[in-house]
Amino acid sequence: MSDARAVADRLIKAKRLNALLTPAKDLRKSLLAQAEAARTTGVLYGMPVAVKDNICTLEFTTTCGSKILEGYQSPYEATAITKLKAAGALIAGKTNCDEFAMGSSTEHSAYGRVIHPLDKARVPGGSSGGSAALVAAGAVPAALGSDTGGSVRQPAAFCGVVGMKPTYGRVSRYGLVAFGSSLDQIGVLGRSVHDAARVLSVISGRDARDSTCEDRDPLRLPTVPESLQGFVIGLPKEYFPAELDPAVKRACDRAIRMMKELGAAVREVSLPHTPYAVPTYYVIAPAEASSNLARYDGVRYGPRFDGHQDLHALYRTTRGQGFGPEVRRRILVGTYVLSAGYYDAYYRRAQQMRALIAQDFRNAFDRGVDLLFTPTVPAPAFKAGEKLSDPIAMYMSDIFTVTANLAGLPAMSLPIGRVKGLPIGGQLIGQAFLEDEMIEAAYALERVVPATDEA
Amino acid sequence: MSVSRDEVLRIAQLAELDVDDDALPEIAEQMSRILDYVAQLSAIPTNGTVKTFVPGPDAMRFRPDEVAPSPLMFGPAQFAPAFKEGFFVVPKLGQFE
Amino acid sequence: MSQAWETVIGLETHVQLRTRSKMFCGCSTSFGAPPNTQVCPVCLGLPGALPVANGAAIGLAVRGALALGCTVHPKSIFARKNYFYPDLPKGYQISQFDQPLATQGSLSFLSPERGAVTATIVRLHLEEDAGKSIHDRFPKATAVDLNRSGVPLIEIVGGPDLRSPAEARAYLQTLKQLLEYIGISDCDMEKGSLRVDANVSIRRAGETALNTRTEVKNINAFSFVEKALGVERDRQIALVESGGSVSQQTMLYDAKESTVRPQRSKEESHDYRYFPEPDLPPLVLTPEFVAEQQSELPELPGQKRERFMAQYALSREHATVLTASRAVAEYYEHVVRAPAEPQSAANWVMTEALADAKDHQEQLRVSPAALAQIIALVKGGTLSNQAAKRVFAEVASKGGDPRTIAESLGLVLVADTNVLAAWVSDVLGAHAPEVGRYKNGETKLMAFFVGQVMRASKGKADPKLAQRVLEEKLSA
Ligand SMILES: [Zn+2]
Repeated sequence: MSDARAVADRLIKAKRLNALLTPAKDLRKSLLAQAEAARTTGVLYGMPVAVKDNICTLEFTTTCGSKILEGYQSPYEATAITKLKAAGALIAGKTNCDEFAMGSSTEHSAYGRVIHPLDKARVPGGSSGGSAALVAAGAVPAALGSDTGGSVRQPAAFCGVVGMKPTYGRVSRYGLVAFGSSLDQIGVLGRSVHDAARVLSVISGRDARDSTCEDRDPLRLPTVPESLQGFVIGLPKEYFPAELDPAVKRACDRAIRMMKELGAAVREVSLPHTPYAVPTYYVIAPAEASSNLARYDGVRYGPRFDGHQDLHALYRTTRGQGFGPEVRRRILVGTYVLSAGYYDAYYRRAQQMRALIAQDFRNAFDRGVDLLFTPTVPAPAFKAGEKLSDPIAMYMSDIFTVTANLAGLPAMSLPIGRVKGLPIGGQLIGQAFLEDEMIEAAYALERVVPATDEA
Repeated sequence: MSVSRDEVLRIAQLAELDVDDDALPEIAEQMSRILDYVAQLSAIPTNGTVKTFVPGPDAMRFRPDEVAPSPLMFGPAQFAPAFKEGFFVVPKLGQFE
Repeated sequence: MSQAWETVIGLETHVQLRTRSKMFCGCSTSFGAPPNTQVCPVCLGLPGALPVANGAAIGLAVRGALALGCTVHPKSIFARKNYFYPDLPKGYQISQFDQPLATQGSLSFLSPERGAVTATIVRLHLEEDAGKSIHDRFPKATAVDLNRSGVPLIEIVGGPDLRSPAEARAYLQTLKQLLEYIGISDCDMEKGSLRVDANVSIRRAGETALNTRTEVKNINAFSFVEKALGVERDRQIALVESGGSVSQQTMLYDAKESTVRPQRSKEESHDYRYFPEPDLPPLVLTPEFVAEQQSELPELPGQKRERFMAQYALSREHATVLTASRAVAEYYEHVVRAPAEPQSAANWVMTEALADAKDHQEQLRVSPAALAQIIALVKGGTLSNQAAKRVFAEVASKGGDPRTIAESLGLVLVADTNVLAAWVSDVLGAHAPEVGRYKNGETKLMAFFVGQVMRASKGKADPKLAQRVLEEKLSA
């Protein structure tokens, strides 16, 4: 099959982005073998899908962008991968990401930063930056990412592609290396709404191996609507603050106008607990991460670093040298907020705040709103190195995306314009398990919005 | 509120993470900033009755009691950093430790 | 010295549930497989693997909780207990913490010192087992086997209600008996399917407050329970009497040396950072599920004992022995229903049947019907007690019909009055002086004559019938 060769060539041509972790030789060999074996009747027959390196595959190593899993070959594959292969898709290599998906710029990878396809000085966003960059560069039509606080939508916005995060429990997490278990979902980056949606549809649905995956049929794709007649779009005022980047504001206003022209009713709503979302997230996610990452101890898999003389030395050097600075920082913060005497002040409080944030969304939807529209990120892609020394500034990049993870809701980003050549993303947040409505609106908006025009 | 060097060391010990002495002040400073930042949560009045929220199913499903291990394409001998006679091997750990 | 002191003990018991597969994955729980062969991504703690709970384990845990009279909560939560250890693959154990499966139960048992005692069961929760660290396999290295990793356990936390090492042993014995009875565990301490840790403190007799306690671990055989706790109690008493004070620490029992020594612990080891397990939704039990588990419960040992006393007019001692195991109790009832007179059946089961079982891997080798027949043969005068015991042994080892065996062994008593009359005539003829004394009123000599007839018949004469024939002849 010559297609597999072309796929490999396209991926290898994008090498300068450092978006792909799979060596060219392995990639070619595997793609040819996969193309031979692919199910010709599958709905994704022959479609190459790149996969973020924190999703276990049998085809390639799974390192999570970390030294602590350097060379790690998983002896099993994620349910999402099994479903993709059953649909005839080709696993088109593993994509670079922030280490264990912790980051918003893909600068926190042990294997080097990913370059923004449109401006090499800038970051592609993160943590699924490799997946976003490959799709944006046209190397693959779609790629899997994971979204814990915006890690699919934020890089999609930065790179000018579509990024979808499904409802928590829509896609099995079996084989997705856990970061924040109650927040993580596998998501899809695609060059169009349709490419992302068809991949999402294939990987969605029940899985007996994940207790948090809902017992539901796979997502059914809506048809492309003629209009948005009957849709009520809510604009949460907390997502349009005075200090919002003016170009981002202009792009959003233009998209809102177009949705109105398509027949949607638009109304302002309030999600009053939004200001607490980032602090809530930065308690819950590190707490869960500190526990999820305890298994990387050099005992059963992964390399051992120095310190073989006693067990504690083995643990401490393996973990101390195997994890990069951002992961270490989050493990320490997460350990701290769970430790004796601090649990109530931090973790319990964050869980309560999470309930209030989820309630905000329910209140809005109860008042007749079908979907929410917001900017995906407050500003376009920033320069590499710009936020590395200030973790909180980096965290603020997630301010509009973490809420959907905290509330477990489906959300997506789609390109709605550019500023000085850099893409801007608009976010749709839907109701739980109503991805179809969200995708329907995105189809309509995608057809009319000048995604590559200056806002 | 600020995290002291000793506190960082205590937490690092709990997390089994080596922290360089040189890096300690910076880590303490960054942890303090992050913890100060998230501490705004404790300033909000939430009475004890506020429920917590976790997404996902309301109740767990039960698996039938059948011997049906999830597939493993190859065994521990092929991924373990130290494996001997069927066992994972780690540096000695006293029985009474 | 112990007169002035009272010991306060509470036991934490870990019990492996009798399931085919592990708590959160489909790996086998069978014992004795080659190391690291009953493992999968889940119980190896591989990146990306997730737990899915075994419904049968939850059912067995609920049965245990109901048998202990606990309140079973309609909703409980799994939590992660975080600590590092090479045989703990995920770096945390999935357990339950502030919302356990069941709380507030009790266990009544017979204390050797205080008689009937009811101890509180504070809580009962589900958790997964860790793997096994083997320290003597390789020099300078520890070997880790994860076959046991993820095996389902319940932890039963008893209140500080036990007052002596002997009482702790009796409590544990009763608990073990109960759990075996309801079939949720094989409770084999040697295989590690029953493990016990003890919290021990002492106080002056008459005091009611609790003093600083230690936790005694590594009690890995049933016979060590009393010894280990005695050693720790004596250590605490000696310490306090010499002016020292007990500090809260974990003591490890060394069976070889019969000593306890403090665990070398790092101060951080107790900050387990529990938090709700995000990979598992709440454990919700419907009333139907709980009712189903209730209906699976057999009659419990205590209930059975009371019923045996009432229904079969047995003493408490006898009823206790007969209900000690479910198998023996069922056997006894089968014998009675065969039918046999309840007290005779009790005597036979407690003596011959249990003694035989003890020598033969707890097998009750004589069928209830055969035992009932043996009892009937004794009662009907066909077999003497002595002869019946021989028949029992014969049936036990070779099987067969008791009457046929008795006849083939020539053990059947002779009840033919003609034959008896001949033996009686011989005896009376050979003991003329005694006959004279008997006729002069010395009637107690009857026993002597019966004995002589038995001797003459080589034990085959039916003694009751022989006596009747003797009486007739002597009064003639
Ligand atoms: Zn397993």
